[in-house]
Amino acid sequence: MATDASKPAEQTLFVRKASGLVKGWSSTDGFRYSFFSTNIFLGIWGFLYAVFIPGGSVFWSIIICTLFVLLECVVYAGLISAMPRAGGDYVWQSRVFHSSVGFVFGATGWWFILWLWIPIYAALCVNSFINPIFRIVGLGSWADWLLTKNGVFVASLATIALATYLVAVGMKAYANFQKWALWIGLAGLIVGAILLIVTSKASFIAAFNREMFQQYGARDAYAATIKAAGEGMPSSMFAGTLKDTFYLLPVMAFWLLWPNWGATLYGEVRGAKDFRKNIYQMAGGLLSAVVIVIIFLFLVTKTMGWTFFEASANGYMGALYAYIDPAKLPAGGSYLSPTAMTAWIVNNSAFQVILIAAISLIVFGWWGTVFLSSTRMIFASAFDRILPEGVAKVTSGGVPVNALLLMAIPSVIVSAFYAYQPSFVSLTYDATLVIAAMFLMSGLAFMIMPWRAKAIWENSALPKIKIGIPLMSIVAAVYSAFMLFLLYKWIYDPDNLYGIGYKNKNSMIFMGILYVAGIVIWIIAWSVRKRQGMELEAVAKEIPVE
Amino acid sequence: MKVRLFFATDVHGSEVCWRKFINSASHYEADVLILGGDMTGKAIVPIVQTGPDHWRYHMLDITHELEGADELAKGERLIRDHGYYPVTLTPEERDEYTSDEDKLEELFHEQMRKTVASWVEWADAKLEGSNIQCIVCPGNDDRFDIDEILKTSKHIMVGEGNVLDLPEGYQLASSGWTNLTPWDTPREEDEPKLKERILSIVEQATVPPERLVLGLHAPPYDTQLDVAPKIDWETLTVQGQDSAHVGSTAVREVIEEVQPILSLHGHIHESRAAVRIGRTLAVNPGSSYVEGMVAGVVVDLDGKNKLKRYRLTSG
Repeated sequence: MATDASKPAEQTLFVRKASGLVKGWSSTDGFRYSFFSTNIFLGIWGFLYAVFIPGGSVFWSIIICTLFVLLECVVYAGLISAMPRAGGDYVWQSRVFHSSVGFVFGATGWWFILWLWIPIYAALCVNSFINPIFRIVGLGSWADWLLTKNGVFVASLATIALATYLVAVGMKAYANFQKWALWIGLAGLIVGAILLIVTSKASFIAAFNREMFQQYGARDAYAATIKAAGEGMPSSMFAGTLKDTFYLLPVMAFWLLWPNWGATLYGEVRGAKDFRKNIYQMAGGLLSAVVIVIIFLFLVTKTMGWTFFEASANGYMGALYAYIDPAKLPAGGSYLSPTAMTAWIVNNSAFQVILIAAISLIVFGWWGTVFLSSTRMIFASAFDRILPEGVAKVTSGGVPVNALLLMAIPSVIVSAFYAYQPSFVSLTYDATLVIAAMFLMSGLAFMIMPWRAKAIWENSALPKIKIGIPLMSIVAAVYSAFMLFLLYKWIYDPDNLYGIGYKNKNSMIFMGILYVAGIVIWIIAWSVRKRQGMELEAVAKEIPVE
Repeated sequence: MKVRLFFATDVHGSEVCWRKFINSASHYEADVLILGGDMTGKAIVPIVQTGPDHWRYHMLDITHELEGADELAKGERLIRDHGYYPVTLTPEERDEYTSDEDKLEELFHEQMRKTVASWVEWADAKLEGSNIQCIVCPGNDDRFDIDEILKTSKHIMVGEGNVLDLPEGYQLASSGWTNLTPWDTPREEDEPKLKERILSIVEQATVPPERLVLGLHAPPYDTQLDVAPKIDWETLTVQGQDSAHVGSTAVREVIEEVQPILSLHGHIHESRAAVRIGRTLAVNPGSSYVEGMVAGVVVDLDGKNKLKRYRLTSG
């Protein structure tokens, strides 16, 4: 039997009127979802950690990491195409491996670790947008307070409240808001890019020094920043050894791993075209974000100067991790938001505030949904009877109250640790590691699907090209190897480059608690359900056909 | 004594799902099997004869070239497992069906009847000698003549419009009719008429609510069971990430008024969930027929007046 993906001109499918025959999610929506997820500001925030590996090339590490993440787009497009509407990583892994594997990796990756994303989101938002706006409008004391322990905690609580509110009542309006957020945010970015293009380095330095004097009382801040924190920083985004550039990949993964975050709405009359469309949507979002960031980095080099940009990041990280005296830094260790520095080029407070607010929509348009995927995961495991039925309870108004509590209460606790226990900040990359571990398992699930889930594989519209073994399995194997590399670098980290390896006991304990919690919940559920005569494994076991 | 039900729905012409459904009784140790509607497929894949012993078809954007009768049989099976109807045609016949809607309509009718008849035959052979009670209720996408074919079965009971006795003194009241959809399907009507229809069926029940099970294809409105991507009724395109409640208010009102122990639903494939509406557990196990998987729910009734437990399955 020969197969060919070309489409003939004549009628190849007769469809009758039947429910559910829709034309699927539009490409624009899928693209928007992926673009928001590979959030460029997560990237800019993530670059801060590149200061710990100054010997690596930021530019080339982005390119290499992107190439590997493109494989992720293929793997996830394949999983979605083969098992649409299946509930994501949790169900894929349950079907291909075992219920326990699906739950432990699904729960830690989609549920527990998102507690840690809350204070990270809050910190990014406060530092990148809210504090710069406060300082521009003369509310420096508010900005200072937001950086105190109480301020960090309150910002996290506000993020929890917003995420809870959106899941509880506001998702519909938020979905509309996202559409506007993207376009306004992009318009803001274009204005910012134009400013950086038309501004000379000398003009930027003058504008930077002016604003730093007005806001922090610092004189000649540009030179002072380089003097205080520029030592050892690279002079170009291209400079670096191959080895150190590879060491930067785990840093870049912090923002590049997420184009597969959404895209769960698909029509039923689907095929290879849908598989390709899924890839285009995810890869489109990823590549657009990467192109924008690279353009930004070129403009930074031209207008701000690369050494200064790295020094500004190193100053913040140095103050945070106590290897640079904040008193020596013009901003006293405050984060110098690239968005704000761009806005400062125009000496007009109203313009600056509007531009920062517009650009911030690229972030606000996305992360209000931080609890959304978690509640889905909680529901799925409640319906499979791993969690008690009550967990999936919804109020008469449709609010998934218990699932939200399972997100909100631990998030408050984790946020409190983040705010009041200084060493907790160093766990930032745990937020990526735990999800990457889940992605690894899904990559492996896709790799062995042709053998372990043969019926699903054969029923799917995925290309069945073989090079000895199915091409899709080879793609998944390379992707999984990349995930393994990332995990290895994060965990086996003798130089403490990423701060979450075996040398950081807090990190090990924190992640250990998450995985043990997942295992304990599954074992309890397994033993309870076994006594009730409904074995957990049966939930995903295939029914015989003949 | 405990009664275990297995409920699945919306297999939409997938032969592999039908076979799995019939086999699910032993797999889940169920006493009763209930299929909640939409048995019939949505599309025909023409297998066009291109030579004396050569055929070609195009499915899921892939063109398949078939040589010989064995490959033809394999191709037909693959198409059926996807929930489509394989029909072997000459190029001229295909063009005729393309231009003549009435003729195509009749072809659909013929394929559905033929497929349901063969499914019934297969199920009868499988269920022969077992104590399993198997109930099938057509859904809104199923044309009326399939009811008659189902009635010819020795072992399958037809749910539509009936109240059927289940083991241990439980009863099942079923209907595959739904509220209006954008697709103008055979069994749909406005909410007041639907409520009237469902109530007229429920009135036939002779057991108290704690022993009554409803099998209604449409899920209750404004629950987790009825959330679908929002679509434009004219163009049938999905509207962004927006979702909408598309269930039936009539079904919800009946559940609220009657308060049966269990209410089983389907129709909205992506809204796999279980909710409590008062004392009633309402479940929509969803559908994964496109994957060749049977999404279902196993429910244990305690034989008295309690629902002991349930679990959504995927097999």
